Amino acid sequence: MSKQGGVQYSKIAEIKGPLVVVDDVTNAAFDELVEIQTTDGEKRLGKVLEVGNGKAIVQVFEGTTGLSVAGTRAKFVGKVMELPVSDQLLGRVFDGLGRPKDGLPDPIADKFLDINGEPMNPEQRDYPNDFIQTGVSVIDGMLTLVRGQKLPIFSGSGMSHNILAAQIARQASVVGTKDEFAVVFAAIGVQYSESEYFRRSLEESGALKRSVLFLNLADDPAIERIITPRVALTTAEYLAYDLGMHVLVILTDMTNYAEALREISAAREEVPGRKGYPGYLYTDLSTIYERAGRLKGRKGSVTQMPILTMPSDDITHPIPDLTGYITEGQIVLGRDLFRQGIYPPVNILMSLSRIMKDGIGEGSTRADHQEVSNQNYDAYSRAQEVRALAGIVGKGGLTGVDLKYLEFGDDFEKKFLSQDLDENRTIDETLALQWNAVSLLPKNELTKVKDKYIEQYYKER
Amino acid sequence: MTSDSKLESTIDKILNQTEIENLSSLKKSFEESLEILTKSQSSLEEDYDRIIDEGKKEAEKIEKQLIGSSDLESRNKQILLVEDSIKKVFEKAIEKIRSSIHNDNYPKLMESLLEESINALGTSDVIISTNSKDKEVVQGLLSKFSGAELSTDSIDCLGGVEVKSMDGSMTFTNTIDSKIDRMKPLIRKDIATKFGIGS
Repeated sequence: MSKQGGVQYSKIAEIKGPLVVVDDVTNAAFDELVEIQTTDGEKRLGKVLEVGNGKAIVQVFEGTTGLSVAGTRAKFVGKVMELPVSDQLLGRVFDGLGRPKDGLPDPIADKFLDINGEPMNPEQRDYPNDFIQTGVSVIDGMLTLVRGQKLPIFSGSGMSHNILAAQIARQASVVGTKDEFAVVFAAIGVQYSESEYFRRSLEESGALKRSVLFLNLADDPAIERIITPRVALTTAEYLAYDLGMHVLVILTDMTNYAEALREISAAREEVPGRKGYPGYLYTDLSTIYERAGRLKGRKGSVTQMPILTMPSDDITHPIPDLTGYITEGQIVLGRDLFRQGIYPPVNILMSLSRIMKDGIGEGSTRADHQEVSNQNYDAYSRAQEVRALAGIVGKGGLTGVDLKYLEFGDDFEKKFLSQDLDENRTIDETLALQWNAVSLLPKNELTKVKDKYIEQYYKER
Repeated sequence: MTSDSKLESTIDKILNQTEIENLSSLKKSFEESLEILTKSQSSLEEDYDRIIDEGKKEAEKIEKQLIGSSDLESRNKQILLVEDSIKKVFEKAIEKIRSSIHNDNYPKLMESLLEESINALGTSDVIISTNSKDKEVVQGLLSKFSGAELSTDSIDCLGGVEVKSMDGSMTFTNTIDSKIDRMKPLIRKDIATKFGIGS
């Protein structure tokens, strides 16, 4: 932390959307923290986006509402935005800028970290492996989350992604190790009722003790949303790499983050890219998503689960599209399943955990995990085809095996996919349910599983 | 054979047959009941295991919940107590600074604060504001900073100066209060360490 305070400038040339243009600035740096003082003495934070020709463009996190060209002052603090971090962050609730929201004082800092993080040396990165149990069968069984992975949830407006996020935050754990586990939860532009749900849900389950919450509400200034994922990830990195914890970071909703980015870009009159988002949306998103991983020689890990709502359920929309390029798979929530009242409504055929194979199997979960998962995937895919066929020719036109697949599809959705909001299934329970589902099919249909596993786990129904 | 004996033999036959049928039916029912009992025993055992498992899970959940919330509650009370103590330490420290700041070295400190401020603004044509007590000290230092003027207005602070460029577009606040504010997070950590919190 710099001991030298900065100079305060009072020549404001222009206020444009979330931006303040300060004139006659001689000594400002890119990304420098700025304290904006209003005429009535209120202080707001911002950062330098651009400097040059004696001007500095400052992005005000708390918005520019109420600011006027006359009387507003900008103090350049002489350092980038830093977050005070220590183990005292655990169990605390903060706003989107990292200020306490739980009525307690600022945490006593162990150190102050730049919220932009330090770039990870690629050579020092360790490949993600080892299993994180979420207690949600469809994720643990078929889209396994691996320590150090970035696995987003693609959802749609009004669907149950936030309920799923809260359930994962409550239940997630690392099994088979005594290493400590923590959850950093960043709510970006969520409704008050949702933020209260997250808070209560973690408090009542006792999981708040090992969690840190950053809550940026829908009525908080949109620009604050640019900072929220960064403070959350800074906290996660400290807990992981300094304190050796395995940290799961849940960021919901990244669409709101991208909207805030678009707002700033429009105010800066930048050339818009697809759907008005800035051309650097991919680069910007990567500065967030790439802050997941493991480092050689360090005990902890940062695993990311960003959640985003796809406008009009459009998976080709720039936000899910670009997110998909950076992350290691995706969990897609399906509108049809949601309408049927299935929770969690995960469309497994559109979902994928790219590095699942590195976190499962003997020693992590169970030797038959990959194979039984593949078999369920295959059978569910066939069940969908049969459903479509039945829609045309009717059930009477189906063969006996087809009817078995039809039955499998319903059973799979009812018993394996569906789960109560507070039902925390162990990996053994999940695998048992997967075997139970495929046991509806004739033995000779199980082509993805070795015979020895069929002998051990198959129980004809 | 008389008709009576014929009737008796028929009755005997019927009775025998009925007895056999009844016995076989009883045997069958007995076997069925045994089967049902065996089956229901295993399903009973399954139900029993399930109920015990669910109960265990629920108990673990409640235990986690109770431990979590009580841990947090006690930790939060500790945070508030520490914060209260930190506040008291700050108040005392500020009182001490207020009473001891105006010693023989004070003009030297003011000179360095002025120098620092003028360097930060990048111009020596400045207006200096200070508290009413320190005006004399600043007045005495003006000769060392050509172009600098002392403002007639006073500011409320423990000590130090606030320096403005002549056109008023730049201000550098270099008071003792602002320095304490800037250093507060680091000082808080040092105080907390003395209370055994943190490293």
